[in-house]
Amino acid sequence: MLLTLLSQPIDDAPVPVASVNVAWSAVAPILALVGGALLLLAADSLTARPLRKGVYALWTTLTAGVAIGAAVPLWDRVQDVDRGPFSTLGTAVGVDGFSVFATFTICAAVILGALLLDDWLRREGMEGSEPYVLMLLSASGGLMMASANDLIVMFLGLEILSIAVYVLAAMHLRKVTSQEAGVKYFVLGAFSSAFFLYGIALTYGGTGTTNLVEISSFLSTTVLADTGLVLAGLALLLVGFAFKVAAVPFHFWTPDVYQGAPSPSVAWMASGVKVAGFAGLLRVFYLAFGTYSADWQPIVYAVAAITMVVGSVLAVVQTDVKRMLAYSSINHAGFVLVAVQAASAQGVEAALFYLAAYTFMVAGSFGIVTVVGRRGDIGHGLDDYRGLSRDRPVLAFAFALFLFAQAGVPLTSGFFAKFYVITAAVDAGSTWLAVIAMLTAVVAAFLYLRIIVSMFMSVEDAGEPRTIRVPFAAGLALLVCLVVTLGAGLFPGTLASAAKDATPVLVLEPVGLPPIDPGATPVP
Amino acid sequence: MDTLDLVWLIPALPLAGFVVLLVLGRRLGEPAAGWLATAACSSAFLATVVVFAALIGEDQHHRSHVYDLFTWLQVGGFDVKLGFLADPLSITMALFITGIGTLIHMYSIGYMHGDPKFSKFFVYLNLFVFSMLMLVLGSNMLVTFLGWEGVGACSYFLISFWFSKDANASAGKKAFITNRIGDWGFMTAMFLTFATVGSLDYSVVLERAPEMAPVTATGIALLLFVGAVGKSAQLPLFVWLPDAMAGPTPVSALIHAATMVTSGVYLMTRVNPILAQGYDWGPDTIAWVGVITALFAATIAVAQTDIKKVLAYSTISQLGYMFLAVGTGAYVAAIFHMVTHAFFKALMFLGSGSVIHGMHDEQDMRRMGGLRKLMPITAGTFIVGWLAISGVPPFSGFWSKDEILLFAYDRSPALWFVGLVTALLTAFYMSRQVFMVFFGEERWREAADAEAPRDARRPHEAPWVMTLPLVVLAGLAMVGGGLNLPFTSDLHFLENWLEPVIEGNERVIDVATGTKVGLAVIAILAGLAGIALAARVYLHKKLRAIEPEILLEGWRFDSSIAVFMGGPGQRGFDGVAAFDTTVIDGAVNGVAGAVSGGGKGLRFLQSGFVRSYALGVAVGVVGLLAYFLTRSGI
Amino acid sequence: MVGFVLAAEAGHAVASSPLTAAIVVPFIGAVVVSLIPKGRTELHRLVALLFSVGSGAITLWLLAAFETGDAGFQFEVNRTWIADFGISWHLGIDGISLFLVVLSGLLFPLAIIAVTPHHDPKPYYAWLLVLQGGCMGVFCALDLFLFFVMFEIVLVPMYFLIGGWGYAERVYAALKFFIFTMLGSALMLVGIVSLAFLHRDGVAADNEAEAAVIEDVVLQAQQEAAATGGIDVDTQAAIDQDLARVDELRNPPLDFDLVEIAESQHLADTSTSSNPFDWSAVRWIFLAFAVAFAVKVPLFPLHTWLPDAHTQAPTAGSVILAGVMLKLGTYGFVRFGLYLFPEASVYFAPALVTLGVIGIIYGAVVATMQRDLKRLVAYSSVAHLGFIVLGTFALTTQGIEGGVMQMVNHGISTGALFLLVGMIYERRHTREISALKGLQKSAPVMAGVFTLVMLSSIGLPGLNGFAGEFLILIGSFLTRRWFTVVAAVGVILAALYLLWAYQRVFHGEPDEENANMPDMTWREGLVMAPLLGLIVFLGVYPKPMLDRIEPAVARLVSHIEEHSDYIEPAVATAGPGEPADEAEAPEEEAP
Repeated sequence: MLLTLLSQPIDDAPVPVASVNVAWSAVAPILALVGGALLLLAADSLTARPLRKGVYALWTTLTAGVAIGAAVPLWDRVQDVDRGPFSTLGTAVGVDGFSVFATFTICAAVILGALLLDDWLRREGMEGSEPYVLMLLSASGGLMMASANDLIVMFLGLEILSIAVYVLAAMHLRKVTSQEAGVKYFVLGAFSSAFFLYGIALTYGGTGTTNLVEISSFLSTTVLADTGLVLAGLALLLVGFAFKVAAVPFHFWTPDVYQGAPSPSVAWMASGVKVAGFAGLLRVFYLAFGTYSADWQPIVYAVAAITMVVGSVLAVVQTDVKRMLAYSSINHAGFVLVAVQAASAQGVEAALFYLAAYTFMVAGSFGIVTVVGRRGDIGHGLDDYRGLSRDRPVLAFAFALFLFAQAGVPLTSGFFAKFYVITAAVDAGSTWLAVIAMLTAVVAAFLYLRIIVSMFMSVEDAGEPRTIRVPFAAGLALLVCLVVTLGAGLFPGTLASAAKDATPVLVLEPVGLPPIDPGATPVP
Repeated sequence: MDTLDLVWLIPALPLAGFVVLLVLGRRLGEPAAGWLATAACSSAFLATVVVFAALIGEDQHHRSHVYDLFTWLQVGGFDVKLGFLADPLSITMALFITGIGTLIHMYSIGYMHGDPKFSKFFVYLNLFVFSMLMLVLGSNMLVTFLGWEGVGACSYFLISFWFSKDANASAGKKAFITNRIGDWGFMTAMFLTFATVGSLDYSVVLERAPEMAPVTATGIALLLFVGAVGKSAQLPLFVWLPDAMAGPTPVSALIHAATMVTSGVYLMTRVNPILAQGYDWGPDTIAWVGVITALFAATIAVAQTDIKKVLAYSTISQLGYMFLAVGTGAYVAAIFHMVTHAFFKALMFLGSGSVIHGMHDEQDMRRMGGLRKLMPITAGTFIVGWLAISGVPPFSGFWSKDEILLFAYDRSPALWFVGLVTALLTAFYMSRQVFMVFFGEERWREAADAEAPRDARRPHEAPWVMTLPLVVLAGLAMVGGGLNLPFTSDLHFLENWLEPVIEGNERVIDVATGTKVGLAVIAILAGLAGIALAARVYLHKKLRAIEPEILLEGWRFDSSIAVFMGGPGQRGFDGVAAFDTTVIDGAVNGVAGAVSGGGKGLRFLQSGFVRSYALGVAVGVVGLLAYFLTRSGI
Repeated sequence: MVGFVLAAEAGHAVASSPLTAAIVVPFIGAVVVSLIPKGRTELHRLVALLFSVGSGAITLWLLAAFETGDAGFQFEVNRTWIADFGISWHLGIDGISLFLVVLSGLLFPLAIIAVTPHHDPKPYYAWLLVLQGGCMGVFCALDLFLFFVMFEIVLVPMYFLIGGWGYAERVYAALKFFIFTMLGSALMLVGIVSLAFLHRDGVAADNEAEAAVIEDVVLQAQQEAAATGGIDVDTQAAIDQDLARVDELRNPPLDFDLVEIAESQHLADTSTSSNPFDWSAVRWIFLAFAVAFAVKVPLFPLHTWLPDAHTQAPTAGSVILAGVMLKLGTYGFVRFGLYLFPEASVYFAPALVTLGVIGIIYGAVVATMQRDLKRLVAYSSVAHLGFIVLGTFALTTQGIEGGVMQMVNHGISTGALFLLVGMIYERRHTREISALKGLQKSAPVMAGVFTLVMLSSIGLPGLNGFAGEFLILIGSFLTRRWFTVVAAVGVILAALYLLWAYQRVFHGEPDEENANMPDMTWREGLVMAPLLGLIVFLGVYPKPMLDRIEPAVARLVSHIEEHSDYIEPAVATAGPGEPADEAEAPEEEAP
């Protein structure tokens, strides 16, 4: 019933031929971002001198704010029992709790990124509108992925998102590592996008459609004599997403890019881009291929396990904070995959909660990195954090909090996120995966503790006190992250129920899952 | 009954003394602190006398009164009250503990004169008397154990009283730990008792003893005996007592001769129904351990040169006699000998103390001699003690020892014979000591002349506070035998008095009167022979003294233990400690190392080259495709 | 912002429940302290003390208001925290937790009075207060999730205390402590979640019958409707209502409430096989819990974090670590191990008892050979907590109750020992036993205090240590005879290592730097006084304490008997009057 609802235009008034019905309100957020970006670009290029400081950031923030504002009525609408989710643009775009939730998160990430960029750009002497424009555009791509109801649209979103991000990575003109990062990211990204595109082709070949809803209804109604084509398509689609979310073995770009790219861009990559990637993944796998969850669940299980292990273990031996955080982000991706492999409503909820929480944790972390880093975006070594607790106790405490949150220490959003994921996994019968996850969390904790050690416990062998300026915008961003991380830790109920509301419409009852028996011997 | 309820006062008074001295001791100073302590102890004695009188008032078979002060430990079925038991046995003990205790307190005032920690000494002394009284008056095994450990702690404090000398400190530690080994037995015995009868009250346990399975009874008895062996310095746990002589002499007299060391004998007597319920080999073990210890210690005493060491080993030997008595079911004899021994041994320790005091802290008998002229009271009283322990009638020692030997003979002539030999040796080494110290030429002169001016070093008689106790004890040692005269049954005062406690479990002997007399005569002769022999060797120098090294070193028993402990023992402990740091902690750090090692190992994948990254992606693609295609069954 | 949240929470918390107050007050204190400007050192100390004492005072009030005879939980509060997961702020204490709460309320203020940090007082006191709140929370929590949160959160402040104010090896020790304990609790989290689902399925199974009945009703209604043709509105409504009811019966909500789960016992383990692969989930979950607790206790061979942490931690840290935090493990075993998993506890009891006894001997032996005074005390803790584990898994009233009492005793005496060692260190700047000598001459009072504490730790009758230890031993002898006989040897060893250490440190002739070591100050004496008082009082008259603990323990034991094939030996409950051969029985009974 739901699917038909999704597949039809909302108002079934007689439709004139050869014209697509568009519910503009549904795509308002995307349009807002794109429009904001273009306006900013125009304004910047029309004025001779660069605009007054802070205007770009302010503008970007406002744009994202508008997008959020536009999304709020959508949320109310999809939550409204009588009206519920719907699709538009000839069923190319689906609007449901999930997409709106993702929209919120991504826009929040944009705001945080913008606030961090502001002063950083001036510090690096590259004040200008381009970074903001790029971020806004990539964000619009992200929104597209989150609400794509068609593989083509999905690909469109993916590319818009990626290309902008490649440039963001390479943005730092005077820094060769930045350029290198950009190139690496671009080449590999293109490589994986190719696979993704091919995956779409195969899927189309297998099912005769690229529309997610039609795919799923096709798969659920027809029994294929030979599933090879469809599954091959599925595999290649997975490659595309796995690359974006940096799952092993598609993660290799991550450390280099995170280390080389400008810190604020990394903040955006780690938060917004990851969210978009997972949004797309969930949408395709749950909505389109939900009926085949028995087929993809085991491999996601495996990928999740490897990803967590590799991420945590490799993180331990790093000495560059940005690189450490890169690996830890891989570990976190693994955690979200644990939620994904649950192939259940709870899985999606957990994933969404985790992503939302992680967005603020990681943005906060890279925010600190941005602030602590020196001109030229250097000084991210472990030793550069020596004695931070002496020089900027509050900053050090904030960082410690973000790190503990990532480690999953209680009373932070990170803990509840992990708890949520574990719950989903256990409920899905993947208890041993949950165990692995927790063990890798312990390993990862070691890395966060190392950073804390150098901030708090090696004051005496730190050099002479250095003054670290915390610009207003960045400070604001950090404060927001801090509040959300703690608030969602102390009272996770609100965010959790939001995640709950954000999912159900998306999920088809998973078929062929083993009976749920927590504590029993492992499933695969 | 109310007068009997006063029993709680007996330990309470010394406790009060302890508390007061603990708080005010320093301020009171010398000698007030000492007198206060003495007062506390003597008032306890009076209280005991009152209770004693009340007890006599009772009909013979109701001479057992329990007074519970409050519930101490109560969990589920396990219920222990802090209660006191007033019966002939406990009151007898209390009487001579407080009595002798008072004398020794008084003596200490003189002996500890001028010691910077004068008041501290009496703090401990009162605490000891309190614990000792708890031990004997406790109405259940746990309160007894409370006293049991309490006296152990006090002896630890008092042995290492002059702690700045390492030897003293070690001696104290050694005493405590050796005792602990015994306490392990005591505790385990309590566990077994509770598991068996569900209570630790003597009233319940002893009354229900006949229901016990013989094996359980024997187990309990022997475990308690392990405790007794530790506390009463029997083989193999006697090693702490000789070292304990490091403490001030009054301590040796009170704790390590008269009272604490006899608590093992008291305990075994107290639980005599359990012994009776067990297999016969139980008591036999006790008897043999006792008699062998007696002989063993006697042989060592023969060669000692330290005036206190001789007495120490003699104490061990005499305690052996008491256990011989317990083992042969001669409980009365055991208590009887305990009392008489308390008299004469305390007497001799105090005497030796006054000698040491007079000789300016000289303890080596080879530097003494002819002291009887210089310290007549000490000499006279000491000689009384000597005759008593050597079993010369009519001195007290003769009667009690004779009775023990009689029971031993009845159980097995072998026991009797060993006991007899020991008696001979006892007479010998005691005489040796007396002759070396009080007779013969004055060897202290050359020792003295070496150092300070003559008259300053000249041995002198002790002050009255020290001699008075000597005199009193000498009197007791002389007439103590009167407590239990063998002639007619109504002269068996002690036996009739203790009868309700050991009802039916006292061995009934059937030895013809003739034999009895014969045995007595043999014992007397043995004693005299010992004295005569010693006289020829040490007085008239007619025979060469035979004092082999090995005896002087106590058959190297102690030293070999020390060697073991210092060698294999310590190495074993070190081994465990090393195991902890290397193996266990090593494993922990090893895991951490493995993780980071794995990380380093995986690093090579992160080559930094796009091509290798692309390869990684390709591998992933192939992997995924392979998996899905197998799923689809191609 | 956090401050506001906490303050708001605190507002009606204090009004509504003393337990919430006892937990929240220190947290607020931490916030307040961290808001005071850096310069005002004395103010930090004062405020910290104020809040710490405040919380402590509340615990004392609890002690006074506690209903002695009542076996259930008292001062309960149960507020929904995270509705979707059935997680609630559920607090309550019974005889088992009461004294641990009071102990925490006592030790923290003492620790704050006794020790002043050498640098950065502000964060020091803040962390200490956070720690206090966390410890209080652990002992009060009756919700598995809440318990885990508290259990885990205490790591952070302790980590900072060790790492920030500790001695030379502090960073290594802090990392080791954090990672080691987190490793344990990581598994426990999975265990908790699995447990919740197991419970949910159990409830669903129970409801199935009812659900089926309603379904039939609905079916009939529909058939009738079909027969009569057409369904009128209110029948339809009724049907829908019924179907909804069926649905919620079949999928009951998650629930993390300890009491709920433990009492309903949907986890009774049917598999009796000893082959790990056909163990039912419950045993695995128990193991997950057991590992977490075993690390905290610490149980051999998971103990090696402890000597490092204890030795490197600042004095206050060691005091809290030994006095309060080690109890999280043993308390966890009693409150969660036994209560949630009766069957599994009985099944694994032999293994745990064995480890406990090994710990007793092993800890003592290793302690004997230590050269560092603090390290020695640390290892002695391994031995002492071995006793507690032995008593707990002896599963007799005496054993468990002795264990509970011993938790408090160990907190008092070992806490006092660490304070004393700290005082010595402050004066001599070394903990090397070999560097100390004859201190009794220079500091007689300290020596006297040390002696008393030492004797209590050795277990001298009449002092608190003995009461607990003896109860444990006599209790465990009923079901675990030979283990107890061996464990009793630990009593000898305790005397060995402590007296030997005492002799080397306090006896002998002091060399010059030891000779003029100052004796205890008044403040130090004031700190020690309450501890010494308790040592003597609890040793002579433990009745008031035992009376409060007993009902809860008795209830726990009968709970175990009810849900497993274990039967407590009669003598443990009945006392005298049993047949004489009672003692032989338990050996067979012990599973």
